Amino acid sequence: MEQDAQLVQQCLQGDGSAWEELVRRHTRRIFNICYRFTGNRTEAEDLTQDVFLRVYRTLASYRSAHGGFATWMTSVTRNLLIDHYRRTKRDRVTDSLDDAMPVVENKESVARRPDEQALVGELSGQVQSALTRLSPELREAVILRDLQQLEYIEIQRVLAVPEGTVKSRINRGRIELARILHQMGVRPS
Amino acid sequence: MTWICEETEARLSDYLDGLLEPAEQAAFDHHVNGCARCAPLVASVSHVLGTLRRLEPVEPSPRLVNSILTATQGPQTWRNAKRWLRGLQSPRFVYSAVSVAATIALLLTATGFNWRRPKLADLAPATIYRNADSWVHVVYARSTKFVSDLRVVYEIQSRINETDQNPALREDTIPQSSPKKEPGHTENSNPSSPKQQNRADEFGRNLRVLACEFPTLSGALVDRRVP
Repeated sequence: MEQDAQLVQQCLQGDGSAWEELVRRHTRRIFNICYRFTGNRTEAEDLTQDVFLRVYRTLASYRSAHGGFATWMTSVTRNLLIDHYRRTKRDRVTDSLDDAMPVVENKESVARRPDEQALVGELSGQVQSALTRLSPELREAVILRDLQQLEYIEIQRVLAVPEGTVKSRINRGRIELARILHQMGVRPS
Repeated sequence: MTWICEETEARLSDYLDGLLEPAEQAAFDHHVNGCARCAPLVASVSHVLGTLRRLEPVEPSPRLVNSILTATQGPQTWRNAKRWLRGLQSPRFVYSAVSVAATIALLLTATGFNWRRPKLADLAPATIYRNADSWVHVVYARSTKFVSDLRVVYEIQSRINETDQNPALREDTIPQSSPKKEPGHTENSNPSSPKQQNRADEFGRNLRVLACEFPTLSGALVDRRVP
């Protein structure tokens, strides 16, 4: 976090390599939030780029006293995702399992046996599909808590809602997700 | 502590995140173990939570970072150019550049370049050679004169030292009259004759003239010796 704050300071002084370092450090995380929210790689990459553009333009408004840079970036991402959700609401077609994009897992998955890998890939696709069926409020709460492993206090800052609301949304999101997966035929083994 | 199904649903995340008090945890477990409605709910949500936490991060396209950098800072070549220009602002480079500029300015000045009215002709090799040659001769002549002046000053100093060693030559040397002597009587000593006093006055005059001639080199000397 301190390193992020230092890099931000260097960026504000016009150091291009500091900005490059910040982009490299956060691209994967921001992309994953966008991907889990939209369920679409192309949209996720476009949104990730938009997030960094906005961060680049508003970098001077960042204050380390108000929380870590990562939390601030997550707030920007969340706002853009909600904007994107509202903008594309009309055009959005009904979600379908067939729409789920193929997922490129990281290196760790390579070590798995092929049958395990296929199973994990299938489950990952199903969970991703179920996530996109959640309402945006519940979806963002579940993504931040269970996929990004953020603390409640950080989620509070990102969503700008009270702790009780955060807990309630996470709880409802998990139950709703379990219900959707149950409907999709995914049951605990 | 009694526990009802609505509480199980409302506090399910607290239970899964380990945020329940021990008494609540015990009541929760006791209820779920005996409730046909809550047990499948807890099992399915636990399964979902485990699945979510095992999901591996999705790798973005390798082009994404470059696209972001291009969108924010311009194309790669432009970024490289800016980085290079930024490198020029480093103190080491600035120090070197200033040193080189100062050296060039010094050399140009030495070769007679007129900074107030710069002319291209002043930079011609023949002009530079002529000016440099002239400058070298002037410097040589001044150096020779300086050495010669030093020699004169050294000679003056030697003579002053000589005078110090021989009190008879000093201007302020006045023979002390002995209290035992009576006026008009001498006792093997020669009072300063008018000739000797004239010589001392002449020496002081010479020193003043030399002090005027070499004010810098002999300043301290004259201050010390000439009243």
